[in-house]
Amino acid sequence: MAISVKVMRRPEAGRTSYMRATLKGMSLTFKHLLRVKKVTLEYPEDQPDLHPRWRGTHRMEVHADGRPKCVACGLCPTVCPANCIRLVGGEDDQGNRYPIVYEIDEFRCIFCGMCQEVCPVEAIHVGQHFENAEYTRDRFVYDLDRLMEQDHPTTLLWDPSDPRSE
Amino acid sequence: MADVSRRADTVTLTIDGHEVNVPKGTSLLHAAETLGIEVPHYCYHPGLSAPAQCRICLVEVEGAPKLQPSCVTMAQDGQVVHTESPSAKRMRQGVLEFYLVNHPLDCPICDMSGECKLQDYVFDEGREQGRAREPKRVFGRDDFGGDVFYYGDRCVMCTRCVRFMDEVADDARLTVVERGDRAVIDTFFESGLDDASFAGNIVDICPVGALVSKDFLHKARAWDLDHTPSICPNCSQGCNIDLHARDNLVQRLKPRENQEVNGHWMCDYGRANYEWINRAGRIESPGVGRGGKRRAADWQTALGALLDRLREIEGAGVRIVGSPFASNEALGTLHRLGRAVGNVTESVFRCRRAEDEDPLPGFPLLVRRRDLAPNVDGASILGFEPAGSDDATGGLGAAASHDGILVVLGDQLGDQPEDFGADASLYVYLGTFESPAARNADFVLPVTTFAEEDGTFVNAQGRVQRFEQGLQAPGSARPAWLVLGALLAAVEGGNPPGSAADAFAALAVEYAAFAGLSHDAIGTAGAVLEPAHA
Repeated sequence: MAISVKVMRRPEAGRTSYMRATLKGMSLTFKHLLRVKKVTLEYPEDQPDLHPRWRGTHRMEVHADGRPKCVACGLCPTVCPANCIRLVGGEDDQGNRYPIVYEIDEFRCIFCGMCQEVCPVEAIHVGQHFENAEYTRDRFVYDLDRLMEQDHPTTLLWDPSDPRSE
Repeated sequence: MADVSRRADTVTLTIDGHEVNVPKGTSLLHAAETLGIEVPHYCYHPGLSAPAQCRICLVEVEGAPKLQPSCVTMAQDGQVVHTESPSAKRMRQGVLEFYLVNHPLDCPICDMSGECKLQDYVFDEGREQGRAREPKRVFGRDDFGGDVFYYGDRCVMCTRCVRFMDEVADDARLTVVERGDRAVIDTFFESGLDDASFAGNIVDICPVGALVSKDFLHKARAWDLDHTPSICPNCSQGCNIDLHARDNLVQRLKPRENQEVNGHWMCDYGRANYEWINRAGRIESPGVGRGGKRRAADWQTALGALLDRLREIEGAGVRIVGSPFASNEALGTLHRLGRAVGNVTESVFRCRRAEDEDPLPGFPLLVRRRDLAPNVDGASILGFEPAGSDDATGGLGAAASHDGILVVLGDQLGDQPEDFGADASLYVYLGTFESPAARNADFVLPVTTFAEEDGTFVNAQGRVQRFEQGLQAPGSARPAWLVLGALLAAVEGGNPPGSAADAFAALAVEYAAFAGLSHDAIGTAGAVLEPAHA
């Protein structure tokens, strides 16, 4: 097809008015000024609502007497696809099996939540937490004490009223 | 098939629709095993008597009025057996449910988890939900002495442990006390299993987590362990074992069945002595130069310098100090190298010896021998002579002041003075750990332990047995046969051995005792040497 050229005829400069277009634009602007629908979140003063299944950094549940609930069964390091959990089991003075070493490398973690899913005693949880900034890299390997100190809410991996998604 | 079955010593029967021909006197359980059908069982163990009391190996035999325990029912001609019929399955499910009535289901904290027969069978066939409403009875943990803890709650009362101590160890220290759901295994006296030298086996044969090893308690999960077929290095019996390793550390030793050597068993002495394999602080790179002039070097530099020295002083007298912990491949290649570079005037090894032997009464082939090292007989075949006293000290007077070539392999020389080998024109120390007596060595070459290399040992029965590499060697430590084989090839010409099998093939040519043998021929079960050589 042959290329055709259409010549636009514009009014000469100084002989046209932009008033109508300007008013149209400004009316939209003022409409938003009155009908407020706020999208921007004033973080950190305002905290976002996280979804119940949001999976963030971990938390270890503790018994009433301060012992970790973990029994060092070794299922979480076994199931962990990122291989970020290090566990050394032992026996405490009351004859209970407990983790002597329990470390999670949060840098290596992919936050899949399988550690929480597999835990037979509901000890390790992924949490609703995302503010993890640190000054050094090694601080991202959370040890047992650190995991027990965390107090953010834990993640719901399933709906308690419908645990089998039926 | 019909022709075979007419012979008097075999019978033909049908199991789950498959016809099988087995020797007369074979139990149905074994006959099914030859077909690859596993009939669940607890109380039956091939090394023990069969009381048929666990009731889980029941199978349906056509014509029999009720289900038959397959561990004691002998195969008969024309029998038709169903292991998966509805009645057999229902029975197994029922039996498993009874076992779980009082079982604590503490798999997460149980050391047996992952290799537990109750776990396996319930996972395969058990009910999804228990129906027992009553609270479970609780016993807690009992210390049996020795290396054994007993968790009564997990016990399935198969009495394998009671029968092992009674029949095999001939030292009845365990029994069942009480009846019904209060029944527990207990020891007769306060001393329990203390000083029983084969009691560790009851932990192996316990099908559940009732008997666990104190040493292994909570140490590793069964599924984390890498299993490597090996030979127990702690006496010259050479029990067949599996090395169970995690994170490049041996976590425990378990016996591997070999009816010619150790049956299903091993002694507690052998089982407990594995920490030396994991000892840290090894020599990691070759060192060149005496005393303060010692410098780390790479293998090429070190071996090149060593070859130059060997060529300079060719024809000198050679004295060799070997070790009964070294493989045949290492010792044989060392001896060949000695003969290639000079005149071997002495080749000795030192071995710690126990005061007496410790036999297992119920399995007379298995004896904890006096020689507390795995390759005493191999060293003797390869031309090494025992030296020193029973605690592996002394006996190296001639070697210490030798003025020719002195080679030490594997012996740590812990009792020797710092001026050991000061007069030697060339002193080569191949070892795993630094030693004050290696101070005068011109070359310190790091070699591997038996757990870090492939090789063979010859046990006290004159049986040559293979072991495989289970751990990674530290630093640049290399198997001794590889180091010595490379030197030998450079001195004599020819190709250096590329594997332990190559090194062994060279020995088979040179030594009549190993003639016709190879790693493949030895296999996993070992091969007996001609008595004249062994």
